[in-house]
Amino acid sequence: MSVPTAVSAERHAAGFFEALAPGGRRVLFGLAAVAICLLFAFPVFWLVLTSLRPGFAVYYVHRGTDFTLDNFHDVLAQEIVLKALFNSFMIATLATLLSLAVTATSGYMLSRFKGPIPNTWFSLIYVFRCVPYVSWVLPLYFVTRQLGIFDTYWGLLLPHVAVHICFFSWIMKGFFDGIDPSMEYAAMIDGCSRWGAFWRVAMPAAIPGLTALAILCWLYTWNEFLFALILTSHETPIITVVMAQFVHELGMEWHLMSATAVVALGPALIVTLFGQKYVIRGLKV
Amino acid sequence: MAEVVLDEVQKSYGRVTAVQDFSLSIGDREFVVLVGPSGCGKSTTLRMIAGLEDIGAGTISIGGRVVNELQPKDRDIAMVFQNYALYQHMSVRDNLAFGLRNRRVPEPQIDAAIAQAARILSIEPLLDRRPRQLSGGQQQRVALGRCIVRNPQVFLFDEPLSNLDAQLRAQMRLELKELRQRVPTTSVFVTHDQVEAMTLGDRIVVMKDGLVQQVGTPLALYRRPANRFVAGFIGSPAMNFMDGRLTMEDDRLIMTGDGFSLSLPPTILGDAAPTGQHALCMGIRPQHLRLGGPSGPGQLGLGGTLMVTEQLGDEQIVAIRVGDKDVRIAGVDPDLRLAPGTGLEVSAGVENLHFFDADTGERLRATT
Repeated sequence: MSVPTAVSAERHAAGFFEALAPGGRRVLFGLAAVAICLLFAFPVFWLVLTSLRPGFAVYYVHRGTDFTLDNFHDVLAQEIVLKALFNSFMIATLATLLSLAVTATSGYMLSRFKGPIPNTWFSLIYVFRCVPYVSWVLPLYFVTRQLGIFDTYWGLLLPHVAVHICFFSWIMKGFFDGIDPSMEYAAMIDGCSRWGAFWRVAMPAAIPGLTALAILCWLYTWNEFLFALILTSHETPIITVVMAQFVHELGMEWHLMSATAVVALGPALIVTLFGQKYVIRGLKV
Repeated sequence: MAEVVLDEVQKSYGRVTAVQDFSLSIGDREFVVLVGPSGCGKSTTLRMIAGLEDIGAGTISIGGRVVNELQPKDRDIAMVFQNYALYQHMSVRDNLAFGLRNRRVPEPQIDAAIAQAARILSIEPLLDRRPRQLSGGQQQRVALGRCIVRNPQVFLFDEPLSNLDAQLRAQMRLELKELRQRVPTTSVFVTHDQVEAMTLGDRIVVMKDGLVQQVGTPLALYRRPANRFVAGFIGSPAMNFMDGRLTMEDDRLIMTGDGFSLSLPPTILGDAAPTGQHALCMGIRPQHLRLGGPSGPGQLGLGGTLMVTEQLGDEQIVAIRVGDKDVRIAGVDPDLRLAPGTGLEVSAGVENLHFFDADTGERLRATT
């Protein structure tokens, strides 16, 4: 007996959506979209709210309506925050440039060439991809110490680039798979070397994909916490780590942490807003 | 302008042989078509001439210069690809100029070359557009333009018409012929379409499984196919084949097969007539069969049952069943009403018969 009931309930549900006028359906989808947006936007709203409250009022948001910009003033007056913002920006930008340079050539090789070298490279990337990200951290700490690059740009850049190569070479291969190789053959006949054909024909055709990847890469590095926490110290402060340092033995300075987070959100927001259409276009390829 | 000579060229991928012992001399300004089913090695051969594939063994020379070790850019060739291969991020004008700029040709000369090519191909209004704004036919014309601006020694065409619809393909075929007259250049054209091969080529190279089956003019291939494969591949509708055995009876050769028995002149196969148990295959083109019994001594008759008719407007193609084989007859009056199941007699002149060895498929008699 239960089966027909289930079937009829399903029919009833399907009938409910079908019975709605197209306008009604649109309203329903609209409401669902708004609900989802609110769900994701609420923490950000709360973050901004906290960043604008005086320290003593953070826990009592329902009391009083004091709002202040002092938190931002305090945070931006700290040298370490400014230094961390600069470092994070530099690391994210340099890691993006380096990663793109390597992943573009690596993805191109995986897409276009067959033989022992691409096969070995493919297997290597695959193996490293299978290793959990967290388990890289401790060995990397010792390696950077040994190489004398701990707490320097290189000490953070190289691990980031290594991770990006493993994850983004595959995406890059997909972009190049979508580009007709006869365009490069035509270029080679038209007077280009193999490298010239890659650089002058395949790369421009991959620009939507490259832009998407650059944005993802930049945001990923900007937001990254674990590597920054383990592989840097006082010499090269990174914004995500500095943010976390407002939780200390004397208590938690939520207002300052929130203000720093809002400041750190700015560049990420700009990059996202600027790049979202490229990301969507690039990932559609 | 140059000759292209391929000498014992081979190519293998692992254990698979793609091209075997390919030897061919293409004359200056000659238009040669490589034709065959997919996987026959025709595109691989073309790509070896272009330098896009390494040559396994043998030599290829262009204009008297061995090009085995030369980069594609140094071979002075131009190539048109199946999917046009236009540079999507450049305008049509830049697509045409790309090869010339790479060769550091002065800009005024480039402009003149582009203007001339655009005029020949009627693409002047398209010069400032991007390739993706063009139709398939227009893109193919731009791809042709990219070749002719360079004025290379050799044109290579890799199935350039197969992405176009039937009507456009026929039109582009004509345009290609016209282009040949205006810009006569040594050309190698690869296609799987025998109509393109017949209409465009000065000579045709038929390939199968990496081996050259026959090289000749379109008419020679049509009239004297070297083997059963070429006979079946060239010509539309395809040649009818009937298997049987020959016996000698009272000074006549009798060919007997499933559902037919034909009396042939004793000299038809010369000394090559393999009588007895030797199986052979007889081929007749649908165009050489006509409805009705034999009208003279040089005619042979076949009887069968009408299976289907295909109306083409200017003619009908009729298929009759003889034994277990369908035999097609082309050029039947389109107004003739024929009911399936009717018994029909058809005839052909003995001079139009082709004979092939049933085992090797080799031709047994040279028909004029």
